[in-house]
Amino acid sequence: MAEVINIDVLTLDSVQCAACGYMMESIAALPKDVQEMIVYTEWSIKHKAGIGKFLELKGRVLPTICIERDLVFESIIPQYEELIDEMAKRAPSQKMKERILSLRKVGFEFDKIAENLAKAGSGMRTRVDS
Amino acid sequence: MAKQKLIDAYRGKRTENAPWVPYAGVHCAFLINEPADKMLKDPKLLAKGVVNAAKRYHADGIPLVFDLSVEANSVGCDLKWWGDNVPSVTTHPCSSKTPAQAGLKLPTRDSGRWPSLFEAAKIAKPQLDQMDCALMGLFCGPLTLAAHLAGVRIFTDVYKNPGFAHEVIKFSGEVGAIAAGFYADMGCDIVAIVDPVASQIKSATFKEFVTPNSQPAIKVIHGKGKTSSFFICGDCTKVMKDVCEIGTHGFAIDEQLNMIFVRDMARKYNVGFGGNLKLTLALSLGLLSPREDAIVSLAAGGNIGFTFAPG
Repeated sequence: MAEVINIDVLTLDSVQCAACGYMMESIAALPKDVQEMIVYTEWSIKHKAGIGKFLELKGRVLPTICIERDLVFESIIPQYEELIDEMAKRAPSQKMKERILSLRKVGFEFDKIAENLAKAGSGMRTRVDS
Repeated sequence: MAKQKLIDAYRGKRTENAPWVPYAGVHCAFLINEPADKMLKDPKLLAKGVVNAAKRYHADGIPLVFDLSVEANSVGCDLKWWGDNVPSVTTHPCSSKTPAQAGLKLPTRDSGRWPSLFEAAKIAKPQLDQMDCALMGLFCGPLTLAAHLAGVRIFTDVYKNPGFAHEVIKFSGEVGAIAAGFYADMGCDIVAIVDPVASQIKSATFKEFVTPNSQPAIKVIHGKGKTSSFFICGDCTKVMKDVCEIGTHGFAIDEQLNMIFVRDMARKYNVGFGGNLKLTLALSLGLLSPREDAIVSLAAGGNIGFTFAPG
């Protein structure tokens, strides 16, 4: 697989909790060119795997966006440029860093949100038995 | 069950002991063996679910719904329905337009799901009154509704494009005032602004956008002689002072805040406060004993202005 930036979003449940939902959407609404460089997953604390991830990443509050295992946005929904900058800082190569930073002025795109959220498992694993 | 005790606590007064509110929400559907979406769409089932939950949990008050998609849906957002959760908002009509440019209109009693909620309240209210249980109306606060309308860009717009953000959030505050009036007209004893994403912004942003755009609803609630509250979720430490100063009779927080800190803030501002039985750690996951968690919460909350509730 090509180089990617890994993003984990620690949530209560992105369907029930609006703050969690918009944390997820801040990633799902990143433009197409950014989507090609990232892999992201929702980890709901209502699910066993989510609790495991919360402990593994040493989460402190919900919701939190972790980029490359760093707790970057804790209870603060990021602005578009903040997200781009924090991803660029953690890009696995200089080339990717430059590519991400070149997209700083593009802004959020809303036409593929549902598809992107589904890809991240958003709202799908929010029960202990799911 | 003690409605007046709950109202007193919500208004920051001393009570004999702490009243109790289960924010049962779609759990009401689970209790009557119905899917959440079916219950929320059917006024008779909704009333049945709410009354049943109030009875089962000996509630002093219970919300008609805990569903922040109602207002957004009533002005044009589409919903995705779930069998075990509240509906989620799937479209953002203001993602590239202001409410005026998008042609959004303020809701009426006939908009979206409001007729169904009026019908459910009409059935549930007398039964709750008989149990001395307050009916509570919870509506979507201005920032959360603005996020529903404009999408996640609103959190960038409050800094980069404040003119647009002001238009969307002001419209959201006006929708909230109408929703508050609807709940008061349904006979709700307590009407609360629920703005969970307001915890995810800085204090200055809260003061600029949330505080002023909550005032129209607060004016309506108080004007109709009802009790008001402001519900916020998550780690809202950075805006806690702003919440205390917003002008409602009280507020409610979730499990991520320390109850002693919250109690002291509420007492300083002489407002009511509610929380914070741990919804995930105790009630959902059972990682903590709900009984012991309840004892800790009750001890910390005390009996001045405190309402025991999940957080």
